[in-house]
Amino acid sequence: MHTCMRTVTVVGWLGLVALVGAGCSKSIQADAGSKSFEPAPSQAKPGGAGSGAGQEAPVSQFGSLPGDNNGKPAGKGSGEERVSEGVAVAKAEPSGSSRQQEMQQEQVATAAAGLDDVYFAYDSWKLSEDGQRALSKAAEWLKANGSQKLAVEGHCDERGTQAYNLVLGQKRAKAVRNYLVELGVAGNRITVVSYGKDRPFCRESNESCYQQNRRGHLVVSDK
Amino acid sequence: MRYLLITMLFLGAGFWAILESGAADVFLEATRPDFQKIPIAVLGFRDGQLPDNPGSRLTQVLKDDLRRSLIFSVTDQAKLGLTLDGAYGAQNVLFKQAADNGIAVLVWGQVAARQPDLVLDGLIYDGVKQEAIASKRYVGAPPVLRQMAHRLADELVYRYTGEPGIAKTKIAFVSEQGGSRELYVMDYDGYGPRQVTADGFLSLMPRWSPDRRHLVFTTYRSRTKQDIDAIELATGKRATLVSMPGLNITPAFSPDGTDLVFASSNEGNAEIYKMSLGTKTLTRLTVNNGGDLSPAWAPSGRELAFVSDRGGSPQIYLMSADGSNVRRLTFEGDHNAAPAWSPRGNWIAYVCRGQDRQYKLCLISPDGQKRIQITSGQGVDDSPSWSPDGRHLVFSSTAEGKSHIYMINSDGTDLERLTSGGVHHSAPAWSPA
Repeated sequence: MHTCMRTVTVVGWLGLVALVGAGCSKSIQADAGSKSFEPAPSQAKPGGAGSGAGQEAPVSQFGSLPGDNNGKPAGKGSGEERVSEGVAVAKAEPSGSSRQQEMQQEQVATAAAGLDDVYFAYDSWKLSEDGQRALSKAAEWLKANGSQKLAVEGHCDERGTQAYNLVLGQKRAKAVRNYLVELGVAGNRITVVSYGKDRPFCRESNESCYQQNRRGHLVVSDK
Repeated sequence: MRYLLITMLFLGAGFWAILESGAADVFLEATRPDFQKIPIAVLGFRDGQLPDNPGSRLTQVLKDDLRRSLIFSVTDQAKLGLTLDGAYGAQNVLFKQAADNGIAVLVWGQVAARQPDLVLDGLIYDGVKQEAIASKRYVGAPPVLRQMAHRLADELVYRYTGEPGIAKTKIAFVSEQGGSRELYVMDYDGYGPRQVTADGFLSLMPRWSPDRRHLVFTTYRSRTKQDIDAIELATGKRATLVSMPGLNITPAFSPDGTDLVFASSNEGNAEIYKMSLGTKTLTRLTVNNGGDLSPAWAPSGRELAFVSDRGGSPQIYLMSADGSNVRRLTFEGDHNAAPAWSPRGNWIAYVCRGQDRQYKLCLISPDGQKRIQITSGQGVDDSPSWSPDGRHLVFSSTAEGKSHIYMINSDGTDLERLTSGGVHHSAPAWSPA
């Protein structure tokens, strides 16, 4: 509750080492000897408004040195700087998206269809023979289930940058879609999406895990 | 984990000659081995009225800020007998002690309650002037007490460099929470993470608006829609800026805040577009068969660095902000990506893959003449982002297993982890000052 207006006297010639930082434009004050902070007016700061928007308190307003305790209370001085969080952040509100529910439905439908995912080599979006076999099976299923749609997710392992892997995942998903279209599935039944390395199936940093994450994931969706 | 400064130019006199040619650049001066940091002592903060005695915590916050500024060398004042508590004789004894130990600046203060606020008073004593050069009073609610110490640190940096300081800056990042990845904002030293989005699925790669009021990012709105949204931090208000078919990723505001650049695959492969935020006019900047992504503005706003695999492997390219004058910048290694142009313009940080096949951080000058690898060891480093003073980078790394956010000096020293716990933290973006 009480902040103090304090006076202080610095006595003595102080030979402090003169080390001035780069860009410091302050002149070195030559006078030595007794100085009293109490009557001294606020010294204009060379270089302007400081780092913040607040005003500078007069030096005398808080000339408090260790052990000096003979101050007088000071009111809400004009030299205060109000400090806030800096960047205010509103409470995060759920966006009301039904994405999680949608995904659960997709998982059920995908499991029922029994489709196999497609796996890729490192930094590649070329379909392997295994991959082509899996897609032939998927094409048959799509032809037999004409009302169903397919979403192809492109996934990547954790190596490389996030952004590059999003593009790589997109290429993988498109490679899968293009092959299914070659096999006679209508293109408008297949959507593609890339999750890059941001929705991994496996979380360890080893090759078997990486292999699991380099995939085109086939998801049956009714949308 | 060891991070080494590796530079092919380091040993030659040429490196220092280059540095000296940019003598006006404080960044370079502060990284020169002969740069004399300013010796400073933080005596402490008296906190007698307060029950939880925050004085020593504030002292540590201020010391850490000053150390990270790279302008000051923080003296262990306790070893010199320069402490706030205990009985003192005449104050000149204290100053004499400081002078004898070569300390150029002394800082001390007090923290007290003034309901419902806390008041932090800080006094700066300059050893050259031999007088108190500033008395700062910061007032705020108890939760912002750390911010008050940060402000005092920035005041010191300002007084001795004329620069705004970074202690009050923030870092936006992505963190995994219950299976979804959401945006967060934390203090520059990793304290006080605040959740920004709660979309329940996947939000990626935030970037700040120049006024620090908005983040722009990619959000996966549905199975087929990946939009670029802006969110106003103070209100949570959302605006969808880009909603085209395909990938819409790596958005970035221009330095003057009038344009947004991003990559989109709506016309086939990923290309870079520029959108005027005022008129929503869209301009396609790249035209080729490779993927083009991750545009990063030069601080002048006149050029962009970006990633393209048009040459077979991802490399960093430069172009003018209108898409003209494209030229390749990186030639070493077969994977260079995620460029970030330093606020001083003199470096572009990026993820490089060296001979050990690890994804690490490199710096290259925009003329391609200087190249430095600043991190090494295991793990995938990603998403470098510069501090506004150009002396530090934040980035994500899996060097310790899980992906965490780290801060490092731009010369590769003083690695510091900012996140703890959690499952996965990525895509840090440092706010403007």
